[in-house]
Amino acid sequence: MTESGRPSRPRLRARTWLIVAALATYTVLAGQTVGFDLGTFWTVWSNPLWEKFWPIPWDWVLDRHNVIDPLVETFQIAIVSTLVGCAVALPVAFAMSPLTSPNRVTLVVSRSMMGVVRAVPDLFWAKLLVTAVGIGAFAGSWALSVFSLGVMVKLFSETVDGADPRPLEAARASGGRHLPVVRAGVLPTVLPEYVAYALYVFELNIRASVVLGLVGAGGIGRVVEAQRQYFRFDRVLGVLVIVFVVVFVIEQVSVAIRKRLI
Amino acid sequence: MLRRSLALTAVVVAVAWSASGLEVGIDRLVRAPGDAWAVFRQMVPPAFGQAIDRNVPSKVLESVHIAWIGTMIGAVLSFPLAFLAAGNVAPAAVRAPIRQLFNVIRAVPELILAVILIPVTGLGPWAGALAIGIHSVGTLGKWATEAIEGVDGGPLEAVSATGGRWVSGMRWGVLPQVLPVVTSHWLFRFEINVRASAVLGMIGAGGVGAELVSQLVFRNFAAAGAVLLMTIVVVLAIDTASAAVRRRIIRGAAVTVGDDSDDRNAAALADLTGLGRPPLG
Repeated sequence: MTESGRPSRPRLRARTWLIVAALATYTVLAGQTVGFDLGTFWTVWSNPLWEKFWPIPWDWVLDRHNVIDPLVETFQIAIVSTLVGCAVALPVAFAMSPLTSPNRVTLVVSRSMMGVVRAVPDLFWAKLLVTAVGIGAFAGSWALSVFSLGVMVKLFSETVDGADPRPLEAARASGGRHLPVVRAGVLPTVLPEYVAYALYVFELNIRASVVLGLVGAGGIGRVVEAQRQYFRFDRVLGVLVIVFVVVFVIEQVSVAIRKRLI
Repeated sequence: MLRRSLALTAVVVAVAWSASGLEVGIDRLVRAPGDAWAVFRQMVPPAFGQAIDRNVPSKVLESVHIAWIGTMIGAVLSFPLAFLAAGNVAPAAVRAPIRQLFNVIRAVPELILAVILIPVTGLGPWAGALAIGIHSVGTLGKWATEAIEGVDGGPLEAVSATGGRWVSGMRWGVLPQVLPVVTSHWLFRFEINVRASAVLGMIGAGGVGAELVSQLVFRNFAAAGAVLLMTIVVVLAIDTASAAVRRRIIRGAAVTVGDDSDDRNAAALADLTGLGRPPLG
């Protein structure tokens, strides 16, 4: 028997090194462009402005008019837009899946339209709609509905893709028309996931609606933006603390419900 | 059946309450699509000339740079922490606080971080990159922790059987298994961050967002359309390229790691959306 010896140590290939080098170069260049400064991690703590964040003025924060009302508005925006977005997403997602799409044209058109909708960042939608229909919660709900639609069709159409095709085939074989076939053959099998995703989208919307106000689209972000412009960072911090406690609680509840659904 | 109707009632009541709270009159609801359409009509054709004069392409690129630097900051800070947060390789006392740290960071959106950071760092892309970097630590840390918890314990045992220290175990037992998955997480986060950095510009943290806001404020919709279109093209291009690379990384990993690695990678990727499904494709 010859000795087996140590296995040779794996070495990175030249191509891998090339890619790593290229990415490192890009990182350095991009870092220079954005003004990367390692010193910030230290100097940021010694900035005198931090004192403006403290102490939190709890009387002001806990005043119903200042924080609670806008926060309620935030949740109303999130609830309405979840419903609208997910309702529209149901037929669109069926159109986007090869399994259930009525024809190829619908498939391609709906897919590419949703691709574009998703490529526009959520707050861009908010700013666009604020400009179009005016400042306030209405523009915010609309923007968030579009955002929910984009997320929901992405998630849910993949579920439809993976649905069991056999009930569909059975319904089709019995000679049904397209819509009743989809309704009877696919919808029941994907409905629990639909509800779970809707709850997930609701969580996303709660988070997103917190920042909508920064561009004038209503909700608690409006308070953050206003106080920020008055340099009342202590109030900003107070608002944020309240927001995160509430958001955290809602998420825990939603996650618990979702776990039971799937 | 009763539970279902109860749940349905709860939803209906919640929606009715919310819709009434938004104080949207019927006239506004009817008029709104027309208003939105009017704005859209003025965006077409987009004024690319104006946008190029105002250097919008370089602003879009700046957003990409911000997203990249943010992702790198997040990756560098979160990866070592993830080893201390994973249940199979870290002691419980260390694990809990780091996991909580990830949770807390994840709960704060980039925009809010930027609102807090801008007064201290000043306006500009660095504030944006820092906000994105900090926020990314939360998600990247959580995902990497889950990837580490999903590794095959064999190599780790082999290292300790030969007397290797904890660090060697991580380097030779864990790292080779998680690196492909974790790299694809970073890329996935980069895709998200490109959108986030575009938005951050709207509050003055560098990038293309500021340009969109100023065009919309002056109601120069043709130029705004051009800004929007350039952003969409870049976002879609990055999404497509990154998704292709991620798929390549994960498939490549299947060959080098082992037989069941495909399943394991998929499982490790599964919780990215919190929904138990990989974000591939």
